Amino acid sequence: MEGLFFNVSAGFLEGILRGYKAGLLTQAQYATLTQCETLEDFRMQLSATDYGNFLANEPLPISTSKISDKATQVMVDQFHYLRSNAVAPLDKFLDYITYAYMIDNVILLITGTLHERDTHELLERCHPLGVFDTMPALCVATNVEELYQSVLVETPLAPYFRECLSASDLDDLNIEIIRNTLYKAYLEDFDNFCQSIGGPTYDAMHRILAFEADRRTINITINSFGTDLSKEQRARLFPTIGNLFPAGNNLLAKADEIEQVRAVCDYVAEYRHFFDAAASSASRGNGGAGDDPTSAIAATLEDRFFATEVHLNKLSFLQQFQYSIFFSYFKLKEQEIRSLTWIAECIAQDARDRIQDFITIF
Amino acid sequence: MAQNQEGRNLLAIIGDEDSITGVLLAGVGQVSSNQKKNFVIVDAKTQPSTIEAAFNELTSRKDIAILLINQHIAEKIRPTMDKYTQTFPTVLEIPSKDHPYDPSKDSILKRVQKLVGD
Amino acid sequence: MSGPREAIFPTRMALTNTKLRLKGAQTGHSLLAKKRDALMTRFRAILRKVDEAKRKMGRVMQLASFSLAEVTYATGDIAYLVQEQAKNASFRVKAAQENVSGVVLPTFEVDRVAGSDFNLTGLGRGGQQVIKSKEVYAKALETLVELASLQTAFMILDEVIRATNRRVNAIEHVVIPRLENTIKFIISELDEMDREEFYRLKKVQGKKKRDAEAAEALKKKLAIEAGEAAEESAKPVSVLVDEEVGPGDLLATKDEDVIF
Repeated sequence: MEGLFFNVSAGFLEGILRGYKAGLLTQAQYATLTQCETLEDFRMQLSATDYGNFLANEPLPISTSKISDKATQVMVDQFHYLRSNAVAPLDKFLDYITYAYMIDNVILLITGTLHERDTHELLERCHPLGVFDTMPALCVATNVEELYQSVLVETPLAPYFRECLSASDLDDLNIEIIRNTLYKAYLEDFDNFCQSIGGPTYDAMHRILAFEADRRTINITINSFGTDLSKEQRARLFPTIGNLFPAGNNLLAKADEIEQVRAVCDYVAEYRHFFDAAASSASRGNGGAGDDPTSAIAATLEDRFFATEVHLNKLSFLQQFQYSIFFSYFKLKEQEIRSLTWIAECIAQDARDRIQDFITIF
Repeated sequence: MAQNQEGRNLLAIIGDEDSITGVLLAGVGQVSSNQKKNFVIVDAKTQPSTIEAAFNELTSRKDIAILLINQHIAEKIRPTMDKYTQTFPTVLEIPSKDHPYDPSKDSILKRVQKLVGD
Repeated sequence: MSGPREAIFPTRMALTNTKLRLKGAQTGHSLLAKKRDALMTRFRAILRKVDEAKRKMGRVMQLASFSLAEVTYATGDIAYLVQEQAKNASFRVKAAQENVSGVVLPTFEVDRVAGSDFNLTGLGRGGQQVIKSKEVYAKALETLVELASLQTAFMILDEVIRATNRRVNAIEHVVIPRLENTIKFIISELDEMDREEFYRLKKVQGKKKRDAEAAEALKKKLAIEAGEAAEESAKPVSVLVDEEVGPGDLLATKDEDVIF
């Protein structure tokens, strides 16, 4: 039924978005990009794509970070165009997309403010998608209590903070734990919101969010091996919407080594091949320079995650009249920027043998 | 000489953001209680005089054994670098991500070359 | 007599002393030269190593910054967080000492304590890359520390070799010639004095001879006069001659001695 009226409110934007999507770089374009000898060539090749002349006014030694900044700016502009034309419930949906970046920004501000850093420098470093009007207000805080209050008052993230953290946590806990706690709350909330939209949006989004949740769960598990993160703390960081939840989460919370993680993932058909493939490529010695098997497997695992994420996001384009494509497009765009940065980095550092290690989208 | 090196056990770095991030990851960073750091970030906008001040400050500190400096940054304050003859802290020019290492510019290597030459 | 010499009285004692000093200087010179050679050998080895290490560093650092690129790919920009979280250095150096021909060379050793500073960085994403990059950078830093020791050794050795060279050259070109000059001077002065003394003695002898002849002539004249006058006056004259011969003998022995 909602498909019938979808076009009234969001049809135009969906059209725009599918247009944007057609502008994502293709395999052939990536192939030409990887052939570039210098960043100068790279820029020229890019100007033939939808990026156009986005680097035209840059002074000559182009740094890779500049390329990534500018490309991000292109994405942000697209987002803002969509956002300003969106009506309910798409506007809320798009806001949710920004919350992920907002978490990073707020974390950044908290870290900076606690160390009494220069406000302007901090604001410059924030991800442009996660910018909100009242952000500078956060920097005025001088102590933890004040900071906590202003986060509650000023940011859209207030509910996450209120539920998960108290003022004293900001001081005591490692900033990464705070970040992951917030992210967990965000994922769950986003999933909840998608459920309220219902229909194909929820179907597609739940698939993506569940994967994202599992990915975080697995990553947190692997990365917390050998650190001072206790198992109880670890369990509290796991999002509860993934395919691994609840049995897998419980097992992962108790895991001590990579083998146990693999055993848990065997229960989920989609994740099973991650470890098989990762392990086999690690044993072939392609798993990066990590000398112990854990880091080798995990390194390739990360690549699988990225590939799967791209795959899932591509799937959501198969269905019309639903919102998940908005989320998917920006995720894909983000991946594209990552790939571009990677290629640029490889060119700049003359690491030809690794230049193919990015993920093409189409 | 021997007493000069007592208590010098820190590394310090003047460099661009990437170099600093890497070196800090390895655990070099030391921030004292009064926010005095042993690393100085230099970007394209940083004035040579600022770099020089940072260089002089770090080289005059008594707890630093080795001072790392990105070569392209050292290039900006080359006269100061060439004049620097103190044994401690040892100043070491390192390459950065965007600027591969060029042995012919290194103050020390220039001396090496001169000595090997004759 | 050319060249500088020491302000010294040309005496036999001074000659002995100066000869001893010359001997000392020559021994010192050969010792210092040996030390210089030893240092030079070491120095050349270090030079080669420095050169090598500097080139190696280029590669290592490239590898390291590439691993950072991997982190950026997986995690995003962590630069700021890393900067903010840095508190206590877990990667320090320890200075040790090495002795090369009496020169104390400091060497740095990596002193790593297991820090948990960035353990949780990239917890949700890319943590493994962060850890890997951390290791790569730590390895790169080890190379750098090694290079720093070499470079310090290079600087100190350079300094010491210069000083040693200065000393060797000073001894070779200033001290030894001056001592040699002094010795020559003393010897020539002494010879000069000998000749003067000899001449003086000859002169004295000549004078004495003349005096003696005069006395003889006088005696003869007196004897003739006395022979003409009386027989008893002969005895006191012989006593007078005896007295004259004694000191003459003494002088003769001394003369011989001087010539010898």
